[in-house]
Amino acid sequence: MAKAVGIDLGTTNSVIAVWEGGEARVIPNAEGARTTPSVVAYTDTGERLVGQLARRQSILNPKGTVTSAKRFIGRRYDEITDEAKAVSFDVEADDNGLARFKIHDKLIAPEEVSALVLRKLADDASKQLGEKVTEAVITVPAYFNDAQRTATKDAGRIAGLEVLRIINEPTAAALAYGIDKREHETVLVFDLGGGTFDVSLLDVGDGVVEVRSTAGDSHLGGDDFDRRLVDYLADEFHKETGIDLRTDPQALQRLFEAAEKAKVELSSVTQTQVNLPFITADATGPKHLTSTIRRSVFEDLTHDLVERTMGPVQQAMTDAKVTANDIDEVILVGGSTRIPAVQNLVRRLTGGKEPNMSVNPDEVVAIGAAIQAGVLKGEVSDVLLLDVVPLSLGVETRGGVMTKIIERNTTIPARRSEVFSTAEDNQPAVDVVALQGERELAADNRVLGRFQLGDIRPAPRGEPQVEVTFDVDANGILNVTARDKDTGKEQGITISEGSNLDAKEVERMISEAEAHRNEDVQNRERIDTLNELDAVAYRVERAVNELGGAAPVHDKARAELLVGQARDAVSNQADVSTARELISELQQLQAALTAAASSATATPTGQQPGASSDVEDDDIVDAEFDRG
Amino acid sequence: MSDETAPGGHAHQRSEQPEATGSTEQEAEAAAQAEALAKMEDQWRRALADNDNLRKRAVRDGAQQRAQERAAVALAWLPILDNLELALAHAPAGAEDPVVEGIASIRKQAIDTLARLGYPRIDAENVPFDPRIHEVVSVVETNDVPPGTLVSVLRPGYGGPDNTLRPAAVVVSRAVTPDRG
Repeated sequence: MAKAVGIDLGTTNSVIAVWEGGEARVIPNAEGARTTPSVVAYTDTGERLVGQLARRQSILNPKGTVTSAKRFIGRRYDEITDEAKAVSFDVEADDNGLARFKIHDKLIAPEEVSALVLRKLADDASKQLGEKVTEAVITVPAYFNDAQRTATKDAGRIAGLEVLRIINEPTAAALAYGIDKREHETVLVFDLGGGTFDVSLLDVGDGVVEVRSTAGDSHLGGDDFDRRLVDYLADEFHKETGIDLRTDPQALQRLFEAAEKAKVELSSVTQTQVNLPFITADATGPKHLTSTIRRSVFEDLTHDLVERTMGPVQQAMTDAKVTANDIDEVILVGGSTRIPAVQNLVRRLTGGKEPNMSVNPDEVVAIGAAIQAGVLKGEVSDVLLLDVVPLSLGVETRGGVMTKIIERNTTIPARRSEVFSTAEDNQPAVDVVALQGERELAADNRVLGRFQLGDIRPAPRGEPQVEVTFDVDANGILNVTARDKDTGKEQGITISEGSNLDAKEVERMISEAEAHRNEDVQNRERIDTLNELDAVAYRVERAVNELGGAAPVHDKARAELLVGQARDAVSNQADVSTARELISELQQLQAALTAAASSATATPTGQQPGASSDVEDDDIVDAEFDRG
Repeated sequence: MSDETAPGGHAHQRSEQPEATGSTEQEAEAAAQAEALAKMEDQWRRALADNDNLRKRAVRDGAQQRAQERAAVALAWLPILDNLELALAHAPAGAEDPVVEGIASIRKQAIDTLARLGYPRIDAENVPFDPRIHEVVSVVETNDVPPGTLVSVLRPGYGGPDNTLRPAAVVVSRAVTPDRG
């Protein structure tokens, strides 16, 4: 079955996303980019170039390169005369007064240009997905009138796509955040793109999204911010050297690249370095441009641009008859909303509300459109609904810690097993305590059930191998079994309530684990280290006993001392660094004893003399049971 | 279908009825089970297919991600090579300075390394403009060369037509047009 996609057909850039396996994802184009410039070029040789390729030749072919077709689609010529003056190509009226591009003496409709962009997006996506893309949801600005919407739909048809629906960009953004499912909310969508600014107020309730008002500035965007930085850097350089870099196309290009990079960096750090060595030269030799730009300088330079968004926001709120207090959610769309000053302004205008920006603002509209496409195609029911384990499952091991066997969010049915051993010499039985939760300490998690596996043959600690298997079937029923690999004896329980926790309880347990993560990790580290210390002390002690008289006297004395210290450290719950020191000393000693052993006797004393020969690679004992 | 089974049972209808109902029930149950089984098998095959497709996609995605990461890393180093070249361009001409020679060989090493990574240098002049590997930054009007020819390369590019790391920044020729300027 052909895939349905969502397309954000933008003024400067477009994005395509697909609904697949229950989630929406953006599909990169043939050049590997996640956004495609909405640019089409008609060359002298009759070729048509779309996207980045078209943009690269625009200086050579200004009359044949169409940018911002979206500003003209579905418009009458007399509505857009100002826009027509601002572009490098010719715009004319056709016999019916509709806006047309005149390229190489031919009239071309904006729909045809947009269709080429849509076609490229769909073709590249088809290649990526390995199946044809034939149906699409396409987004338009909320203020588009019927003629503009119809023309956009026509563009889709010209591109060979069945347009499932035309939806508003702010609505798509709300869909991407799943806000449409809420009861009743007022949502403000703040969209500051590459070249346009739109703000919309939505009324959301029970799956219906209504646009209450829109406002904006059709010529304000990220490109303006770049230009301010370029001018600042060029002016500074001019002051220092008397050379205007803006007259040198190569220097200007480097400057624009550096400015955009600096702008992006200043969204995450408070100062950045612009470094353009050998930017130019004069009679005195080469000149370098190095400048540190602080965020405060950038904010100062672009202050008025940010302030320009205020008017439309207030306008939209007045038109919708809402105040800052009525707004329940704020959604940020467009790459320029990553600028901290913009976010601060949005917070200020909406009464301190924290805006939603967890979905990539460049992609959120396309993602929402893809979700709509998925809903319209009913693809949700087409996939197998797979359940997951809501919380990690595991067993309690030595020191009262939880060893996870099945991680949270594992898709079920799932079956995992691990091999454990005993913590004491001649331990006759092990207690298996099945736990559920995310905390490191067993006591902080939920006990699902416990049982004992007995009749373990007497053996030194660490030697018996007990395989514990957790098996969760498709219904979430958990089977825990423990098997003694030596005797084959098995014991187990079935727990049916395991995954039947309600969502709130699961959420509480996860957030609790988050809150305690630091102390839990520290506790865990301490216990793990003490366990390790105990184990290495035991091995040293055993090595000394096995060597008997063959052990060098000084090593033997040192072993007794260190083992004693280790036992003290374990029983007194010593801190991690002390334990680490002892571990490393004991390990050295163990190495020395092993060397002594191999020189003393012909038969090497392996670590597990009585171990079965069929030990497989994956039978790694990574924890020990200390009860029983 | 189950309604029309058991022909010729009229005479013993009364006595056979419970049995007939029993067999109808059994048949209905069998049909339901067959249906459930078919559905299961369908779902099972879907799950297998899903898994297989996922595996294939993981392989494809992995290759793609490696290529993207390689490109991103190579691209981040390009300005350093560019600046090295700009620095060399300012070296005094003619003078045989061993330091300059050494730096020139570092430049060559960097260009070779990029080529080995799959990004050969794009710096040929006097070739037709190709938007896959070239980006026009300036245009000159001249009748000396055919229109659309690279007059000069201001900044070299790297990569091939199918994996352009960065297009070369070029100056391209245009036919002299009398009605312009």
